Amino acid sequence: MVEKAPSGFKSFWDKIDDDLAHIPIAAEAEHIPMRSTDKYDLYGVRITSVGPYRLFGYLSIPKTDEILPAIYYVPKNGSVHEIIPQGTAVAVREHYVTFSLACRGMRNSDRPYAAMYPGQLTDGLESAESYVYRGIAADTIRGLEYMITRPEVDKDRISAWGNDNALLVAARRKQITHVITQPAYLFDTIKNSTKTTSYPLAEFSDYLRLHPERTSQVNEILDMYNLRWHAPYITAKTLVRADDSEGIYGPKVLAEMYEHIAGEVTIHESEQSSFKDGLFAEKWLTQEMLGSTATPIVPEHWQAFI
Amino acid sequence: MTIDRNYRCMVVKPDDFDDFWEGVLTDVACVDLDPVMEKDPLRSNEDVDVYQVFFTSIDQVRISAWYSLPKNPNGKLPAMVQLPGYQSDPPIPRDWAAKGYACISVNPRGKVRSRSQFDPGYPGLLTYNIIDKNSYSYRGFYVDAWRSVDFLLSRPEVDSDRIGAVGGSQGGALATTIAAMRSEISAVSISAPYLCGYMDAIELTHTYPFHEINDYLNIYPDRRDQVAQTLAYFDGISFAEKIKCPVILNVGLQDNVVPPETGFALFNAIASEDKVLYEYDGHGHEAGRYVHDAIIDNFFETHLKGVR
Repeated sequence: MVEKAPSGFKSFWDKIDDDLAHIPIAAEAEHIPMRSTDKYDLYGVRITSVGPYRLFGYLSIPKTDEILPAIYYVPKNGSVHEIIPQGTAVAVREHYVTFSLACRGMRNSDRPYAAMYPGQLTDGLESAESYVYRGIAADTIRGLEYMITRPEVDKDRISAWGNDNALLVAARRKQITHVITQPAYLFDTIKNSTKTTSYPLAEFSDYLRLHPERTSQVNEILDMYNLRWHAPYITAKTLVRADDSEGIYGPKVLAEMYEHIAGEVTIHESEQSSFKDGLFAEKWLTQEMLGSTATPIVPEHWQAFI
Repeated sequence: MTIDRNYRCMVVKPDDFDDFWEGVLTDVACVDLDPVMEKDPLRSNEDVDVYQVFFTSIDQVRISAWYSLPKNPNGKLPAMVQLPGYQSDPPIPRDWAAKGYACISVNPRGKVRSRSQFDPGYPGLLTYNIIDKNSYSYRGFYVDAWRSVDFLLSRPEVDSDRIGAVGGSQGGALATTIAAMRSEISAVSISAPYLCGYMDAIELTHTYPFHEINDYLNIYPDRRDQVAQTLAYFDGISFAEKIKCPVILNVGLQDNVVPPETGFALFNAIASEDKVLYEYDGHGHEAGRYVHDAIIDNFFETHLKGVR
């Protein structure tokens, strides 16, 4: 039996695209000397998403005349907005254009809406229209739309790196050529939230413990974001970083999603080591974006292992 | 890469270190704790009651925290202070409550829910007023964490003789300082401790958040000595000889955020005679937690519940 996306799925996302199309990005970029060097510049960027809502991002550009591959660090589920993820070798900024976006609610994009963590994932869950994730999804897409306006970016090498949002943006925009993703809450959300007391999934079980009568409605709302339905639209080459086999989003669970991704997929089951998992991802990215002879750009304590 | 387990950090404990912190503690002693506890039905479940807590810390800054209690406890409870990482949001400590502890998870100033009076940002916190020990961000931030003990002491369900502290990364640094400065802490678990050997760390690894200091020195190279002088007052290694309670400390030998060398230096400086180091080869900043979590559980079962 072929599973089909819920009714209204296409129109829901078409409407988001339409809303974005009618709002100018209106980008402003301001140089940040403290976090720039002779090898790269950092800019604080402000852009507008649906609402309208003004967002903030960090754009890092190597000092070179070449066009370069780009990494889009998609909005995460947490308050802190980083330039590049904690623990990433700073030298990455010498070789890639990087853009890190804070979606609405995150620090730097928290006026007027300052999200709580936990809390953000169930804000406005009373209806599809009021649910905050509609805006967050739009913000994530808008970040990519801004990136591709940058002349420094090689349009054939744009990767999205992060959580579920990396898959969402790749499903909605073909300009994403590569994805590195660690799904955490948007695949069969309610079904999987009942298996854990850990956040972020526990936000949903907390909510339904207090509002059990809304289960069906919440399922319908979340189904619009379910990666199960987005997977067939993803043509990018994709690295899926799965939990270990004991985790909620282990390879077996995620197979129902990633087997439907249209692009080539590499699955990596967590080795319960941030070093081993991180090194695998860095090697994969380097091979895809810089070529098989390039040396992965990794922190000092990983360099003996490349 | 061979890790030097006898690595010595360049930090020198200032001669007036104890006087400085005694003055800070004198200041905070004058501040009314004014604790408020509000039950959070959304985060409570069938096993655990969760409360949002607010109290006042130094400089009259209002601090928030999560407080979790097991439902239907028998008698006074052992208690835990859970300390947060640098960029992560402080967790709701339901797991500790489910294991039978009263547990506070504090949001020091600048963290989400404690941002209204002080908010240097991320990046930003690590270098805020970094050339002035009297207004450096971590002066208040540390005190906010230590103040959690005062909250626990105000609670009738807590056994004040059985309070532990636990944390990883920045939480490991905060656990180090709270064990040093609060004698009520009777056992401490420190994982991948950040904020130790700052000036070494910024050379040993080039990743955020330590790299915030390099960013700062990039535009203010003439301030390097001032920066080092300030940070010596806030370095976990400077606090280490004051720790007398049982300690476990774990490091990942491939830690890409906190150099393991500084973790070894901290461990070697800790004065407690009851200390055990766990090193995890093949592991990064998670410092082997998939294995080590059970060791932490057993450690506190032994020291706070008398289970052997």
